[in-house]
Amino acid sequence: MSSPNRAELLQMFRTTATEIVEKEFASIEENTKITELGIDSLGMLEIIGSLERQLKIQIPDESLAGLTTVRDLIEAVEKRFKVQS
Amino acid sequence: MYVDPTLVPPTLADALRERAKRAHRGFTFVRSDASERYMSYPDILKEAERRGAALYARGAKKGDRVALVIPDGDEFVLTFLGAAISGLVPVPIYPQLSFKNVEGYHDTVSHIVSAAGAQLLVTTETTAPYVEPVKARASVLREIVVASSFADQPHERVDVKVEPGDLGFLQFTSGSTSKPKGVAVTHGNLAWNSQCFIQQGLGRDDTDVGVSWLPLFHDMGLIGFLIGPVFTDIQVVFIPTANFVRAPRVWLEALSRHRGTITYAPNFAYALVTKRVKDRDVAELDLSCVRHAGCGAEPIQARTLREFADRLAPTGFRPEAFLPSYGMAEATLAISFGDRRGMGEKARGLRTDVVVQKSLEAGEAKAAAPGSEGSQELVNCGRAFPHHEMRVVKPGSFEPLPDRQIGEILFRGPSMCNGYFQDPEKTAESFKDGWLHTGDLGYLVDGEVFICGRSKDLIIIRGRNFYPGDIEWAVSELPRIRRGNVVAFGLSVNDEEQLVICAEAFQSDAAGLIEEITQLVNEQFALNVHHIELVPQGALPRTSSGKPQRRKAKDMFVQGAFAKMRNKGTTEAAT
Repeated sequence: MSSPNRAELLQMFRTTATEIVEKEFASIEENTKITELGIDSLGMLEIIGSLERQLKIQIPDESLAGLTTVRDLIEAVEKRFKVQS
Repeated sequence: MYVDPTLVPPTLADALRERAKRAHRGFTFVRSDASERYMSYPDILKEAERRGAALYARGAKKGDRVALVIPDGDEFVLTFLGAAISGLVPVPIYPQLSFKNVEGYHDTVSHIVSAAGAQLLVTTETTAPYVEPVKARASVLREIVVASSFADQPHERVDVKVEPGDLGFLQFTSGSTSKPKGVAVTHGNLAWNSQCFIQQGLGRDDTDVGVSWLPLFHDMGLIGFLIGPVFTDIQVVFIPTANFVRAPRVWLEALSRHRGTITYAPNFAYALVTKRVKDRDVAELDLSCVRHAGCGAEPIQARTLREFADRLAPTGFRPEAFLPSYGMAEATLAISFGDRRGMGEKARGLRTDVVVQKSLEAGEAKAAAPGSEGSQELVNCGRAFPHHEMRVVKPGSFEPLPDRQIGEILFRGPSMCNGYFQDPEKTAESFKDGWLHTGDLGYLVDGEVFICGRSKDLIIIRGRNFYPGDIEWAVSELPRIRRGNVVAFGLSVNDEEQLVICAEAFQSDAAGLIEEITQLVNEQFALNVHHIELVPQGALPRTSSGKPQRRKAKDMFVQGAFAKMRNKGTTEAAT
């Protein structure tokens, strides 16, 4: 799979979050803080697991600690693409 | 009273040395990248001894507490065992979860380290930055040790005799308060409880394989799948908790591939699997090997288990494998199992009692016809293990109640711990006259126990008793509410107890939802809701295992913390 661009990754995050938390979000942008989305850590891990499956990548636990914004997560995903492709 | 030496060794130290005689057996650790590391019992013993010696080399001596903040299964297990077999007292602490309140985490860890009087804290390179600030807050803490530094230690064995009466470890219970209490668990307690739940409860044999993704800093994962198996020689496959949450399939896959016979999970995990598992997975898996699928650590819903069994029926999963269990850290781990001792493969799985819901309000569990209107189904958690005793009494007394009368559950026997570490006050509240006052409400039928809820959480409105769990479960069923994100509690308003419900939801749903919740509670419980607070998702306080904390939520509500969050939002007020 070729690396999706950031806009595509953001859209993918929106769709996945909506599917897992079972709710439309008002807005999710790159600078949205994860805590503002109010998804608990369990839900967040579910979302990350789903992204990993869709993109066929693995994000190591170390790069999950300290994620604050949606941008941080998108960048963690992009980094994996560089490593694994 | 001593354990049966033909069933279990007297201490964890004796047990691990005994295991090391069987070189062809051991533990498998799945890593977060799904690779596996197998370690034989002799290799585990050798590495554990080395780590014990390394801790002594850093100044620890017999009886000293050592805090462990270690996310990796193998590193945790080797360090925990190393400390325990060397006469040290490990204190497992949950590692920092991402996206969480860092300040609160430092508070909790500092509290535990200080209460335990731990001078050493062992962690890993990746986790070290998250515990570093604890050093400044817990003055007792002398050194933070990174586990990889143990590699420099030559192998040697500390010459220390470990006795059954010695402390095995401190189990800090996340409980429902912000300040966890450290249950003092002895080697003798561990030996006894292992004998009870694995030998007598699970009917262990040599072909058993345990599979667990449960966190190792909690009693169900730590005693259920590490300590118990070391005492009784069960080979175990450990999966990182985060791997399971990311992809629940990994649990089932490990069971299928390793031919797992024993596994355990809280109710929510069975629900998560049912929801997420794909038809393709179901077709590929073979779960006919599972003998015991235990369920504990939170209220058990019969429906959740039935849905799981239906969904996984094509894998050969047998509903008879379900093993509802009751226990708590103060009793080491297990108090009772849905009865199956001596029944071998004729195990009966999930058994329930259907009662008149309204009768519960008056403290009685009147039998009702299954499926009848206004009935409620409760799960049978069986009877106490041999040499142990369970009693249901009128709260605040020792007076046993007749069958089907709801009261506080008391427990005693050699699995009962002596109390909380260096905390006589808290100990006196729960351990009285040789009995553990569990704080759980329930009833007995022919010696088998049914759990209704925590007595401290009981909501009494105009003389009717309501269990918050029942109300929370009902509200969770609403489509716009996520399961497990609801808290119900009683609040005294003008000297009268009233019902308050806090639920995580989106403010845009507020108007309709409040009406729906009010109506639902009215219909199902004939009860008026005094106030409904819709809070942002993730706002409810939770324990380290993710359960909403009712008492803390109540404090936050009373202090107006939720109202503040709501006013910060852009949408209209909730009520």
